[in-house]
Amino acid sequence: MSSSLLKSNLIIFCLYCFSISRLYGQDAAFFKGQVLDVTNSELLPGASIYWEDEISTGVISDLNGDFQIKKEKLPRRLVISFVGFEKTIREITEKDAIKTQKFFLKPIELSLEEVIIRDRRPDEQIKNLETGKVTIPIETIKNIPALFGEVDLFRSLQLLPGVQSAGEGTGGLFVRGGSADQNLIQIDGAPVYNASHFFGFFSVFNPDALEKVDLYKGNMPASFGGRLSSLIDVSLREGNNKQIRGEGGIGTISSRFTLDGPLFSEKSTFAISARRTYADVFLRLSSNPDVKNNKLNFHDLSAKFAFRLGDKDKLTFSTYQGSDFLGLESSFGLGWSNFVNSLKWNHSYDKDAYFDLDAYHSIYNYKIEFDDPENGFEWKNQLSETGIKAQWTLLRGENLQTYWGVHSQFYHFAPVALIPASGSNIQSIDTNPKNGVLNNLFAGMTYEISPKLSTEAGLRWGIFNQIGKGVDYSYAGGIPGPDVTVTDTLNYGTFDKIKFYQGLEPRIAFRYLINPQFSIKAAYNRNFQYVQIATNSSAGLPIDRWILAGTYVPPIRSDQVSLGFFHNFNQDKWEFSVETYYKDFKNIIDLRNGASVLFTDNVETELLVGKGWAYGAEFLLRKNQGKTTGWLAYTYSRTWRQIDGVSQGQKYNPRYDRPNDLTFVLNHEFSGSWSAGLTFVYSTGQAVSFPIGSYQSDRQNVPLYSDFRNEDRYPNYHRMDASVTWRNTNKGRRWRGSWNASIYNLYGRKNPFAYTFGDVINDDIRYDSSTDGPVTSVRPGIIMTYLFTFLPSITYNFEF
Amino acid sequence: MKNSWILGLGLVITSCQIEVDLPLAEIKGEIPVIEGVWTDNAILNEVKVTLAKNFLDQESYKIIKDSRVFIQVKGTETIIPFSYNETSQSYRPLNSDILAKVGETYELIVEWKGNVFFAEGLMLEPPILDSLTYQYEEKRPFRDEGYYIKAYGKIPFKENNYYRIQIIENDTLKNEPEDYFLFDDTFGFTFFENGLELGYAFEQDDRVRLILYRMTREPYNYLNQLLGLLFSDGGLFSPPPQNPDSNIKVVSGDSQVLGYFLVSPILSEFVLIREK
Repeated sequence: MSSSLLKSNLIIFCLYCFSISRLYGQDAAFFKGQVLDVTNSELLPGASIYWEDEISTGVISDLNGDFQIKKEKLPRRLVISFVGFEKTIREITEKDAIKTQKFFLKPIELSLEEVIIRDRRPDEQIKNLETGKVTIPIETIKNIPALFGEVDLFRSLQLLPGVQSAGEGTGGLFVRGGSADQNLIQIDGAPVYNASHFFGFFSVFNPDALEKVDLYKGNMPASFGGRLSSLIDVSLREGNNKQIRGEGGIGTISSRFTLDGPLFSEKSTFAISARRTYADVFLRLSSNPDVKNNKLNFHDLSAKFAFRLGDKDKLTFSTYQGSDFLGLESSFGLGWSNFVNSLKWNHSYDKDAYFDLDAYHSIYNYKIEFDDPENGFEWKNQLSETGIKAQWTLLRGENLQTYWGVHSQFYHFAPVALIPASGSNIQSIDTNPKNGVLNNLFAGMTYEISPKLSTEAGLRWGIFNQIGKGVDYSYAGGIPGPDVTVTDTLNYGTFDKIKFYQGLEPRIAFRYLINPQFSIKAAYNRNFQYVQIATNSSAGLPIDRWILAGTYVPPIRSDQVSLGFFHNFNQDKWEFSVETYYKDFKNIIDLRNGASVLFTDNVETELLVGKGWAYGAEFLLRKNQGKTTGWLAYTYSRTWRQIDGVSQGQKYNPRYDRPNDLTFVLNHEFSGSWSAGLTFVYSTGQAVSFPIGSYQSDRQNVPLYSDFRNEDRYPNYHRMDASVTWRNTNKGRRWRGSWNASIYNLYGRKNPFAYTFGDVINDDIRYDSSTDGPVTSVRPGIIMTYLFTFLPSITYNFEF
Repeated sequence: MKNSWILGLGLVITSCQIEVDLPLAEIKGEIPVIEGVWTDNAILNEVKVTLAKNFLDQESYKIIKDSRVFIQVKGTETIIPFSYNETSQSYRPLNSDILAKVGETYELIVEWKGNVFFAEGLMLEPPILDSLTYQYEEKRPFRDEGYYIKAYGKIPFKENNYYRIQIIENDTLKNEPEDYFLFDDTFGFTFFENGLELGYAFEQDDRVRLILYRMTREPYNYLNQLLGLLFSDGGLFSPPPQNPDSNIKVVSGDSQVLGYFLVSPILSEFVLIREK
């Protein structure tokens, strides 16, 4: 970090500490209280508190369940309500107002009458300022029918408008025209660099370990940044402070277990979760020794510890470790893992002023081992991000909320190392490390201009330096290319500056409340991204090469404008929204034909740089309350890229451009014991290139492609999944179990995973020369691979 | 490698394959495919000129027999004319005694229907191919049991290290996509000095000939990209399919052109596998 920047950070810090100190004077005109869940004493943020005779001037409890409300004349009846809990009305006297009062709310029994999504207020979509933000309650995610019965966060997010998948069964997310590496996926504030298991078929998130998930489709607050297209903000669950509780499940391919409860005292809690697959157990049952000796598994471990240090301070430590392993014939092994840690300190100066400090460290690594006496090797790589973020929040009256802070990130991309095994004939490969420091200053405010008009404005200033220790290259003519001579090799010492970039990222949003059931919102958002993956395949691989912005690779930039119409009706039981957006990308990269980036130190010679744009309209009809819940979403969107060297320099669609996308999610509670879920998805097929012909070269029949990329489409994709859940409703028993049976692809649609264009021998697509006799005919053919048809699974879930 | 992983995963999750029909676009006009090989071995020297066809056409590839083909030694007036040979169905030099010489740059010119196609290639110095040995091996991971051949040699060059090995087993060229053997200096050449094991299990009495090519970057990239295309399943984990980058240019006319021009020294070794 430069000394000037450090100095400016200190000045900002001092200024705001000074301004905060002025807030300590207490206003005796306020009555203070705290809202808690009576069953476990968990704090309830977001509860509504108002005087019974003055409904219009209520307040909302904060993250600690605390609130304060103007008291004026007493005694007076105070109403505390929260979705999913019984309303409490208590008379408050002057004596009560001397000290902070606690209000314990009783949950409404979720049985025949009501199923309520509790994580958001009923009118939230109307009143908040956020466009493109979606929150899916964890309970909803758990009710969605799942592939192999594995409830999966990413596949649930794919059911939302504006979020596309890479293809059949995969969990990669493509948000509003952005590629998968443009999503900032974080666990309690710490980024996760490869959030998938099994090559993207499952995400790393064990649903039992999660508290909530927020998806920002580009319009993220100024306190977040660094990625262009989305923020997927995952919060791990905190333990309760009353008793030890457990829950888990035994599924078709994995089992999971979560334990939470008080730690030492009521002031500290823990929650620990684990999940492990056992696909390799089934492989061992195979009679085929080639299959029997293979290994395929993944696991996740996560924990969250929370400590209340008095009334004003809270400390939480979150940790996640997960890894995959694929072993073939005992001589080849591929493993990859994430290890993510974050430490948060939340401090309340007063009811109107908060300070949050978040320090994190995230490591991703992979390793490939090939055990061979002559060509054996170990190939490994690691990247890490270390960061610290300080944020101050200040509430000025009921109309103004401001926040500001500093976020510093240090990236370290270790050299790609290929180390020959003992006696191996191959030579070692060792690239040079890449390091970067990104310092961000950010500030934002939410201001209610009038009861109908509110605005949220923010600015983030990213200051990026690629730094040593490392190596940079000079190329003849100054432009790198595969045939361009390297004219100089520049060595940089530790922390030496290599390349500097900076950029302002403004964000602004308006909300106009036409009436309590109808609002209009507009937003503009700019983001810079200084890290990305150098790949041209659509689905991520564990060995993908992450690169930093540098001398020849500028940061990518996006500008997004969006306009939304939001309407609630039938007493907020139904929500309807239409959101439109246009997004512009600068400095998007692609790879040259036949590029090889995994082992080279000159990745820039393999890159092509261009631009992109995307636009769309997202329609969402959602029912959040009642025995039947769910949503119907339709998105029309287009995504384009234009890069010199690709598609003759003409615009083209990336594979995940899917103009029409329809999803239907339905959950129904038949009784206290029985419930069912149904999902249906339909989308335009992926944009791909099919051959237009074939030719003979080097004695091979080679497919011939058009010079223009992705002019063809896979057939339209559709699929229906269903699930049925039976719960043991005997409330007298501590152990409560439930069975979930689900079917993926209910009507057995054969959705293509891939097409192969080649020769069909003897009219048999599985012709094997060693067993199927001589070749009598050869003709061209198209072979489609499909993955999952009518895939049933069953899971037993329990809690105690 | 990518495909192996997906294949492995696919086995576990019971993927299926069927033959399907898809509406495919068709070629507009005629697209010639030129493949020129110019070496210091007369048997291998030829230029093939064919036409691409629509993908699902079941007719044979049409051979162009009426082009004018010649090679010129760059910087000289020396022209090596070619004529069409019905036996090989390719163009062959009129004088088969003329061979590529190390250090010379050769220009291939093909004229057809008013179009002129041009490519050039440098004849490089050959590496050293010392010997072939063989040994019987039991079944190993990723290897069947059988006789395995090792090639010993030395590559002393600092640049233009692009190589191809072809194997002829009992007079038949091993020519499946999995038989391609291309290598460069990414992993060094110690493996060649210590014995490069060919990945094929041979049987007793097999007659095996090894042919080693050394070439410049462009034809190597063409072959590498061609191989990538042959293995591409067009799936999520594959890059978007693209035609291999040809080193042949259209200098006159508006036709598209496919193919490549390879200039290479040839090293060849033979071994007969006997019981040990």
